[in-house]
Amino acid sequence: MISEDKIKNIIAEVLGSMATGDQASPSQASPAAEACEELCDLTAVDLKKELQVPEPANREAYLKMKATTPARIGIWRAGPRPLTRSLLRFRADHAVAQDAVFSNVSDEFVESMGMFQITSCCKDKDHFLTRPDLGRKIDDETIATLKEKCKQSPRVQVYIADGLSSTAIETNAKDAYSSILQGLKGHGIETGTPFFLKYGRVPAMDVISEVLTPEVTVLLIGERPGLATGESMSCYMAYKASTTMPEANRTVISNIHKGGTPAVEAGAHIADIVKTMLEQKASGLDLKL
Amino acid sequence: MKETVLSAGIDIGTSTTQLVFSKISLENMASMMSVPRIQIVDKEVVYRSDIHFTPLVSKIEIDARAVRTIVEQEYAKAGVTPDQVQTGAVIITGETARKQNASEVLSMLSGLAGEFVVATAGPSLEGIIAGKGANAQQESKKRGATIANLDIGGGTTNIAVFNNGEVIDTACLDIGGRLIRFSGDNSKVAYCSDKMGCLTRSMGLDADEGTPISHGAIEAISQRMAGILEEVVGVVPATGELATMVTDKDLKRDYAIDYITFSGGVADCITTNCDGNDFEFNDLGRFLGRAIAKSRIFTEKQVLESAETIRATVVGAGSHTTDISGSTVTFNDDALPVQNVPILKLSEEDEAKPLETWGRTIAEKVEWFRLKEEHQTPALAFKGFDDISFEGIQLLASAIIQGMASVMNDKVPLIVVVECDLAKVLGQTLKAQLDFKKDVICIDTVKVENGDYIDIGQGLAGGKVVPVIVKTLLFGY
Amino acid sequence: MRLKTKLFGTLYEFKDLNEVMAKANEEKSGDQLAGVAATSVTEMIAAKEVLSEITLKDLRNNPAVPYEIDEVTRIIQDQVNERIYREIQNWTVAEFREWILSHSTTSKDIARISRGLTSEMVAAVAKVMSNMDLIYAAKKIRVTAHCNTTIGEAGTLGFRLQPNHTTDDIDGIRISLFEGLSYGIGDAVIGLNPVNDTVDSVSNVLKMFQEIKETHNIPTQNCVLAHVKTQMDAVKNGAPSDMIFQSIAGSEKGNTAFGLDGAIMAEAQDLMLREGTSTGPNVIYFETGQGSELSSEAHHGVDQVTMEARCYGFAKKYNPFLVNTVVGFIGPEYLYDSKQVTRAGLEDHFMGKLTGVPMGVDACYTNHMKTDQNDIENLAVLLGAAGCTYFMGIPQGDDIMLNYQCTGYHDASSLRELLGLTPVKEFADWLETMGIYENGRLSARAGDASLFIK
Repeated sequence: MISEDKIKNIIAEVLGSMATGDQASPSQASPAAEACEELCDLTAVDLKKELQVPEPANREAYLKMKATTPARIGIWRAGPRPLTRSLLRFRADHAVAQDAVFSNVSDEFVESMGMFQITSCCKDKDHFLTRPDLGRKIDDETIATLKEKCKQSPRVQVYIADGLSSTAIETNAKDAYSSILQGLKGHGIETGTPFFLKYGRVPAMDVISEVLTPEVTVLLIGERPGLATGESMSCYMAYKASTTMPEANRTVISNIHKGGTPAVEAGAHIADIVKTMLEQKASGLDLKL
Repeated sequence: MKETVLSAGIDIGTSTTQLVFSKISLENMASMMSVPRIQIVDKEVVYRSDIHFTPLVSKIEIDARAVRTIVEQEYAKAGVTPDQVQTGAVIITGETARKQNASEVLSMLSGLAGEFVVATAGPSLEGIIAGKGANAQQESKKRGATIANLDIGGGTTNIAVFNNGEVIDTACLDIGGRLIRFSGDNSKVAYCSDKMGCLTRSMGLDADEGTPISHGAIEAISQRMAGILEEVVGVVPATGELATMVTDKDLKRDYAIDYITFSGGVADCITTNCDGNDFEFNDLGRFLGRAIAKSRIFTEKQVLESAETIRATVVGAGSHTTDISGSTVTFNDDALPVQNVPILKLSEEDEAKPLETWGRTIAEKVEWFRLKEEHQTPALAFKGFDDISFEGIQLLASAIIQGMASVMNDKVPLIVVVECDLAKVLGQTLKAQLDFKKDVICIDTVKVENGDYIDIGQGLAGGKVVPVIVKTLLFGY
Repeated sequence: MRLKTKLFGTLYEFKDLNEVMAKANEEKSGDQLAGVAATSVTEMIAAKEVLSEITLKDLRNNPAVPYEIDEVTRIIQDQVNERIYREIQNWTVAEFREWILSHSTTSKDIARISRGLTSEMVAAVAKVMSNMDLIYAAKKIRVTAHCNTTIGEAGTLGFRLQPNHTTDDIDGIRISLFEGLSYGIGDAVIGLNPVNDTVDSVSNVLKMFQEIKETHNIPTQNCVLAHVKTQMDAVKNGAPSDMIFQSIAGSEKGNTAFGLDGAIMAEAQDLMLREGTSTGPNVIYFETGQGSELSSEAHHGVDQVTMEARCYGFAKKYNPFLVNTVVGFIGPEYLYDSKQVTRAGLEDHFMGKLTGVPMGVDACYTNHMKTDQNDIENLAVLLGAAGCTYFMGIPQGDDIMLNYQCTGYHDASSLRELLGLTPVKEFADWLETMGIYENGRLSARAGDASLFIK
């Protein structure tokens, strides 16, 4: 063991440097408001740390408990109504959530992933939102494209679909995908040709699996956004997926985003799950994790 | 889904030796559709030993063999075998820890305490463990308040102050119920600790061994001892004697204490009516308890009932020392357990710098652990990032490997402890960059500081988490 | 039974009553997805005209799903009071509408007639009503129920405190709960939608709710909205629950998809009356929502308004304390935009009240629908005017766990002030005692959750 004195010195030094660090950081009481003088980004404020109640009975405990939830609490009121800031923040968060749904994953993004793109049987976003049945299907021409461009019967087929949040995909898919590949490579597991499915719903993975016949199919797909989680992505996995398998055969990891499970960490976890699926030749409720 | 872990707590104090077994329940609290999140959901003391006097062969030497016999007998009574115990802590506390053969006692017990039981001491940690056992920590969190727990034993008073569930201050005083002991007929002083000698002299009283002592004098001394406690919690101004009675460090007293709790053997005589023979144990414990009950602590502060009194430390050791890591981590059981690994933690300032600079920063700090006689291989700790890209993780892993280069050939695994949830991907990346040739233990959701030591046990809950004991030896420096 | 009509010289002919019922609906994307919607607005009006001349007897005799194959139909038909039914069986839907709206028809009259109705009659009359008809008619009908307190009294508007959390973190739930109380929310129920549908998790939350209720002497009722079987197991293990919750559908097949049937609900009700912590006699809480039958392919080709009415018919059997429609939760494939959500909210509330259940509304929307918070505020005011029993109260209307938005903590006091309503009596008194309300509205200290942290 190194001596206590030695450690004391280290601590003193580290604490000293931390103290200077503290001074440099903006004060907690007035977040963002003073930090940015001209262009203040309302949405940059960490709601978990902001308490707008003017004279709370117990400020410290309030802040501490607030930190345990992303719920919009401690936001105070004007008469019975929310403060203007809270109202606008809510609308901004809703706007960005709607954008996540109603916008499309850009072609540039798909290209940057080195993937090609296919489309479900939906014509446009509106069609996709009101006809979930068509988002589960791909037509014969698309099937032919898949057969032509993809490696047949890989051990693992990974692909990406927009689902209900294009933002989730553009924010998280790249990191999660890279992390999955690194993990699978580490386990010595080969993967197939990746691609992007536009206007895709989850069950399309069954159709695709029947075309490409991988052992395990891994789908990264945008979740229906909430206000706090417009960037949330899910991963659906199944062993030998088919259109006749029960729903219970799907293994799901949801809530992949920086406020939930970070994309890189989720990818590493997914790689381990895929390995287990291949070992057990099972997925969903049959899989013992 | 629930999994239970058997934890042992053994407390060898100045006056008493105790043991408890606790069941710690782990459960995956995440939904089926999420990354698992294993948490400790319940801690239950399932066996409490008798309270034994700590066997001593002389005033300064613990009878290690006799301690072992006590522990063996209690295991047998509880029907527990050492191999069933998965975690826990042996704690040698108070004056006893300063006795010469403390480490001999610990090694005597090590075979009895399962694969993964720590042996540690130090007044700050004792105070914190007792405060947790007394429930002061949980109450402070529940009430959103600041609570000071005073654990008053035979030889010392260990104080831990919790604010909203977190330790904000500790102190240790040489105030205890057995620091003065009496002869068989209680007419003379049989033992008086050095510091108590100072205190009594400051009162103009003589309490040297063999001196006759009156009932009145005993009460006066007890009142003065209670007065020191009034001073330490700030209900009366501090005097020079407080400084004398401080063992290692005083409280800072620059915050408001909302509530007080008492634990330790003396606590029973504070909160409950200790009728009967005042001299049952030939010491001033009961006098001290009564003096505290009449002190201004009770009039100036709100005193809460504590969950444990004389057993607070042992319950704390059994139930509250083990924590668990996050549920997506990297380790292999072959490389575990590891014990007493010193922590090298990067400062906030270090972490604010670009990842490219981390390698050098880490390398410099690693050298601190390599200067003296024996080499230490530290575990690298930092807070990390909630939002880091795959490229960022690659850079981070390279920097760690570069920074830890001088210890990479040590025959111990590379250990990385982070607060943010990224230990699985970081561990996988470290392994990949090290060509899978080095054991890597990378765990997250664990908060440590410089000066801490960490024990990491083998995987629990189907290998998703590892048990972790963080030993804060130097709190408050 | 006449199944055809002419409008502007064009003949419209329908093959059966289900087609008339479906096509008489105001536009709903869910009816379009099911392929049962009218193809033009004139066809819709033609269907309404045909429906208006159908008698209640025809509706009784032609249930949406046959009696023989469906438990929900059997429950609805078997609880009809035959004497009352015989009095009204020859009314047309048009006459029924006008009777309800008539100044001389009172709340008590409707409550009596309600016992002679089937859900198809309830749905039919809603289909020939305008939005203001639905508001005006619903306002007339008072349905009260008692668990620990009485809900639905005239002049009151309740709120369910919904302190949901992304991971069921007990502290996170607790602070949202405190905040809700500090805004005067929680008189209808303190009810959590749990992430973890396990007995342990449900029991832990229930115990926490009970502890808070006892510590602060809060006159209300608690519930954790897990699956009915999980809640029953928790109660059997001693968890303190005032009510049992379940989502229900308008067909047996839909209920099967939810993992329940009439026998399970009867058992749950019986268990709560024996082992529940509440006074009762109303100890069940149901949630519904247009489109849920189609989403589990259990709609039998029937439109979503009729299926929704059948939920209330089923619910009535178990004397619920609360029933609410989670009106905009299910998504744009069932209710496309604010217009459709508004209509559905007004329909559901009216149909529930006419059925005789204490109807509340979760006025809400998801982020993939063409609606926003303004639309939901509008709907809440309309429903408030319609005498809605209770709404949901969520921190600023943002449910972080279910990922949808609805009425928020702030909307409770706003609506009560606007419409001259008060919380449930006992709860209102408690709010005054706690200093959260002063003279019937929020006090200066209201809105501070830390009032409850000591």
